Amino acid sequence: MSVSVAERPAETEPARHLAWRGWLLDRAPFLVACLMLLVVVAIYGALQKGVFTLDEINLDTAAAMTLILAATGQTIVLIRGGIDLSIGGVISLGTVIAATQFSDDPLTVVMWSALILAIGFAVGALNGLLISALKLQPFLVTLASWSILNGIAMLILPTDGGGVPGWWIGFSYNQILGLASPVWMLIGLIIFWYWFRATRLGITIQATGSNEKSAFLSGVSIARINVVTYGLSGLFAAAAALYLTTQTGAGSPTIGKDYILPSVAAAVIGGVSLFGGRGHLLGTVIGALILTLIGNLVFVLRVSSYWQPVMSGVILLVAVLASSLAEKTARGQEQ
Amino acid sequence: MDLIEVSGLTKRYGGIVALSEAQFSAWAGEVHALVGENGAGKSTFIQILSGAVHPDEGKLQLEGQPYSPINPDAAQALGVAAVFQELSLIPDLAVEQNIWFRREPRTALLTVDGKALRRKTLELFDKYRFPPLDPARELRRLTLAERQLVEIAKGLAKDPRILILDEATSALPAKEAEWLLALTRQIAAEGRLVIFISHRMGEVRAIADRLTIFRNGSTVASHVATAVSDDEIVTQMIGRPLVRLYPERKATATERIALKVDDLRSGSRLTGASFELREGEVLGVGGLQGHGQRELFQSLFGASRATGSIELWGKPTQIANPRHALIGRDGIALVPEDRPGQGLLLTKSVRENLTLSVIRRFTDKGFLSRGREAALVKEMVDFLRIKAGTPEQLAGTLSGGNQQKVIFGKMLLTEARVLLLYDPTRGVDVGTKGEIFQLMRDLAARGYAILFYSSDLPELVHVPDRVLVLRSGRVAATLGAGRVSEEAILRAAVLDEAA
Ligand SMILES: Nc1ncnc2c1ncn2[C@@H]1O[C@H](COP(=O)(O)OP(=O)(O)OP(=O)(O)O)[C@@H](O)[C@H]1O
Ligand SMILES: [Mg+2]
Repeated sequence: MSVSVAERPAETEPARHLAWRGWLLDRAPFLVACLMLLVVVAIYGALQKGVFTLDEINLDTAAAMTLILAATGQTIVLIRGGIDLSIGGVISLGTVIAATQFSDDPLTVVMWSALILAIGFAVGALNGLLISALKLQPFLVTLASWSILNGIAMLILPTDGGGVPGWWIGFSYNQILGLASPVWMLIGLIIFWYWFRATRLGITIQATGSNEKSAFLSGVSIARINVVTYGLSGLFAAAAALYLTTQTGAGSPTIGKDYILPSVAAAVIGGVSLFGGRGHLLGTVIGALILTLIGNLVFVLRVSSYWQPVMSGVILLVAVLASSLAEKTARGQEQ
Repeated sequence: MDLIEVSGLTKRYGGIVALSEAQFSAWAGEVHALVGENGAGKSTFIQILSGAVHPDEGKLQLEGQPYSPINPDAAQALGVAAVFQELSLIPDLAVEQNIWFRREPRTALLTVDGKALRRKTLELFDKYRFPPLDPARELRRLTLAERQLVEIAKGLAKDPRILILDEATSALPAKEAEWLLALTRQIAAEGRLVIFISHRMGEVRAIADRLTIFRNGSTVASHVATAVSDDEIVTQMIGRPLVRLYPERKATATERIALKVDDLRSGSRLTGASFELREGEVLGVGGLQGHGQRELFQSLFGASRATGSIELWGKPTQIANPRHALIGRDGIALVPEDRPGQGLLLTKSVRENLTLSVIRRFTDKGFLSRGREAALVKEMVDFLRIKAGTPEQLAGTLSGGNQQKVIFGKMLLTEARVLLLYDPTRGVDVGTKGEIFQLMRDLAARGYAILFYSSDLPELVHVPDRVLVLRSGRVAATLGAGRVSEEAILRAAVLDEAA
């Protein structure tokens, strides 16, 4: 073997696979979610008058917002390749603190709100720290902190109750340009997402979920990423709690559990991979909207409300099927 | 003065000693080869140099200063970058994102500047005359060879003073490997240090100024490359003289046809391959990379969709999925290209990896016979000399070459008599290579039929009975006994001449 100057080897690869097929396959779960949303909206619109109005959009977004906020945090954690059950505890605790501490004075409200958000972040950061330091399963760590936070919430407010100022409850009725504040929140959230996923932090979180070992070899501090990821999840859960009190006007030490599995379901329906590395907030938002609209659907269909979890389950199955099919086909095409 | 100097370096993993008082020194401006058997501690050594692993004991100096990088970032800041054997790439990111991961150019809004990223990537490709690579492609869609190129680009992008290449050529086709060797010389000529790990003696010979030999975690010797013979190196590597690398080739093929393939097509690369593989035959598969070899092996194993007809031992067969392929003595077994992806469960033990797909062989009326399993596992571990502390060691913690041996053992345990060997000696040390070739011939003599692809041309010349050369997804030539040579294979691979 003799070696002289480095020469560029000639191209030897025959034609590549068609790129658009890969593009489409990658987005198949998301597109299926969009399709399902269209179907749900179509049925809803056929049964109910006035579905295709701004008012309805305002109302539905307001109804879905708690889940959307909780699921945003969950999405970040899932993309990291983890899961966060503790958001149930953070939400419960958040609502009871708000319902017992908020007074008519806006300054008090702002201060306690900030504290609730800080608690959310701290709880999440602690989760992340435990997961990395003790090399524990995220499932178990966050399950434990859910239980602990739930207990604390019970100690503060044993039964549903307390209250928040009237102007706080009116939050979701404020409108600008015909759009209610939750819609503006959603727009802000999506803008945040497009920014976040393009930052180094966002990319690093995704990369760590995609392949932790490679991320480590590339210099990523896994512990730091876990702290930030779960911290963000806790922060969004706390935001969900605050928003929830504008809807219920009260605190509840048990309400958080209603958001744990739906937050995961919303993300999965929207095409977020449970194995990490892949997912987009738009999908999660669509998932959350589907889950919320199913509630409306059950109502206008005048059937037992027990049909709601049944329908959610079916939709979840369809979504999971779509992602696994896409995954398999993509595997077949790889290499 | 030495750029890097290491002494007394020791690293233990539980009871396993990966490095034991190893020494190493190299200066700027040289290509310094690091050679040794599988599990000798080469990768552990470079993981320590690049900050990914912390040593138990030892003194490291960089330019005379104490050097103990706490993580890969710290090593990189001091100008040390590694191209890892197991690759450090992110499947869900694009090529360019992988190359500049965590060092991406940013906009005022702190987001990654896509345009600058593309420009820097193309500049890098241009500067080092990279083989064609699409910067926007997602990594998980790339072939192993392409991934290896990305890993190399990632190392070069850091503009290191010390570039470490851990078996970077093993996954590359001949041309790209040659390009890398030339590049390595160029980088050394710029006054930088290249530490080069390879099991291919030819490559070490072609580029190394000096070489250091590891055995069982210790340094055996350091030589100026021109002052030592191949035999001496190999003897010091494996602790005994190597009798011969390539086995004697006695024709053992019978008239019986084990595998008959007609007009097999898959994807855009395999466009109608037809051939026959006989009982007792070792049939080589050659050709330029990307001309359907991978697709051929994958579709014969049922791992990717294909059309065409396949006859196994005279019976038309549909192989819809790998489980189908594996069934019993009439089955097909594969040694795949992508170790962590297809071959090994990295978080399972050596024992489980060996026996999972053949669990039936150890069950007695539905109960698992641990005794029988243990006996067979031990036999396999001894036979292939798999270097593992115990059979319970996790496969992911084995050295690269030992992982490959586990895959080989797993395939042997299936008892299938048609074997598809896709680059079975990739990353395997010379001693074991010789044993694997001998094993292939022995199996052939016992009536096995073996289809054998290798990225190493001399192997194709010396091991198989006949060689199929694929070009544009078809069999361009079949070179029979006496007509196989490196030149003949290359010519058939590129020229439009009927053979
Ligand atoms: N994380 C780990 N846990 C346990 N043992 C390990 C671990 N990493 C490496 N080892 C062991 O250390 C030894 C040296 O491995 P290393 O990867 O350095 O070998 P190598 O010289 O690179 O071999 P190869 O040529 O096969 O790549 C092996 O016996 C391996 O099993
Ligand atoms: Mg190695």
